[in-house]
Amino acid sequence: MTAPSGVDAASTIAVVGTGVAGTSAALTLRNAGFTGRVVLIGDEPDEPYRRPPLSKDVLRGTMPPEKTRLRAPDTWSQHSIELRTGTRVSGVDPEARRLIFADGTGLDFDRILLATGGLPKVLPQARGVDGVHTLRTLADVPALHGVLAAGSRLLVIGAGLIGSEVAATASAMDCAVTVLEAQPAPLSRALPREITRVYEELHRASGVDLYTGVDVRELIHEGDQLAVTDADGRVYSADAAVVAVGLDPRTELAEHAGIATGDGIVVDEYFATSAPGVYAAGDVANHPNHVLGGRQRVEHWLNAQEQGGAAARAMLGDPTPYSCVPWSWSDQHGVTLHVCGWPEVAEDVTVRGELDERDFTAIARRNGRVVGAVGMNRPAELRALRTVVSAAPHVERAVLADPATELASLASFEVAGTSS
Amino acid sequence: MSAYRCPVCDYTYDERTGDAREGFPAGTAWAEVPDDWCCPDCGVREKVDFEPAG
Repeated sequence: MTAPSGVDAASTIAVVGTGVAGTSAALTLRNAGFTGRVVLIGDEPDEPYRRPPLSKDVLRGTMPPEKTRLRAPDTWSQHSIELRTGTRVSGVDPEARRLIFADGTGLDFDRILLATGGLPKVLPQARGVDGVHTLRTLADVPALHGVLAAGSRLLVIGAGLIGSEVAATASAMDCAVTVLEAQPAPLSRALPREITRVYEELHRASGVDLYTGVDVRELIHEGDQLAVTDADGRVYSADAAVVAVGLDPRTELAEHAGIATGDGIVVDEYFATSAPGVYAAGDVANHPNHVLGGRQRVEHWLNAQEQGGAAARAMLGDPTPYSCVPWSWSDQHGVTLHVCGWPEVAEDVTVRGELDERDFTAIARRNGRVVGAVGMNRPAELRALRTVVSAAPHVERAVLADPATELASLASFEVAGTSS
Repeated sequence: MSAYRCPVCDYTYDERTGDAREGFPAGTAWAEVPDDWCCPDCGVREKVDFEPAG
């Protein structure tokens, strides 16, 4: 490694979190030539695994949990990565460069990456109520398998990505599914209004009962029934419920260490926190948005993977600022949605193809600049648009709508009104 | 030299370029990619699901 990083073969880099951000960081450290000690620590009992299938194939039972393994079991030893699963870190001291495990032992480090992810947000009304589930880890799955029998009635509270996918999976398992969403539309945090309509239609066509604008006042378990009461007095009942109302970033280690937090752990474009030697990446990292300005926290698989890799390189002294555009996808009712950039901030949306036929690419603009896209059945176009969104060019809607326009070519459009 | 594409997200593995991020140097044949390897971009589809590209 070159000099300014301050780490060498005698250094120890600790990574807290065995999700895809942490594991990518550990593997990237090795791929980038770091020969010091790498310790990868996670409180989950399982070896690193992929979360995306949990709400889909794993929940449905068509993929056994061991198939979600992120890497072959011998990968970690082959790369001399000390993997410590089922191990909780109870404190980090940035000045002493030492972390303390829950069992009281410690580990001295030269750099540490906090890739602690998040926990499902708690709905206060549902706290401690029997029959209420969340889905974030493999350990959450068996209890859900117990309630998702054909013919059982499931309430899904929250129609974001996880809630919508759980609803679609349960529906495919012949459960009677009712989705309750507080916002006026499903997926409204992720998608522009034009596209959320496609999902309202898709859920209904697939037999999912979707209610929006629901204000859950009370959630009670009575007999073997769950009952949710809306503020308007309406009651929804079921055998079980899944609460999927978002993620709380796990910032407690950073907070106790005096590191700046605020909707996650605050980092710069190199994933460095306010404490020297301490980095954060993945769902927990609140980082600068290089396209829209301001800051953001992104909760998607590919971004966590890319951020883990970028943070590892930064810890080794790589001076390249992070500039990846969010990119995600979702499988519901047999239809795959792709999302890139920030379509939720759209001022206008140009649709190529047909929304009704679920074969389209919808391009989102803000201030005349391409800032995001949403697509169904057109993954190659979305891939091209990820590069375009990174440049955020000014493009006329007529050009975007023209089927003859090669989307990839838009990345090199002159960006009017900017200094570069 | 061939390429193989993920049916979900369009990630393409090209034997010519390999994928350094995944630990496969340029020229790594598809046959050498482990059977339990899964799409690095979407995290869901596995090697067996990939389709020949182009």
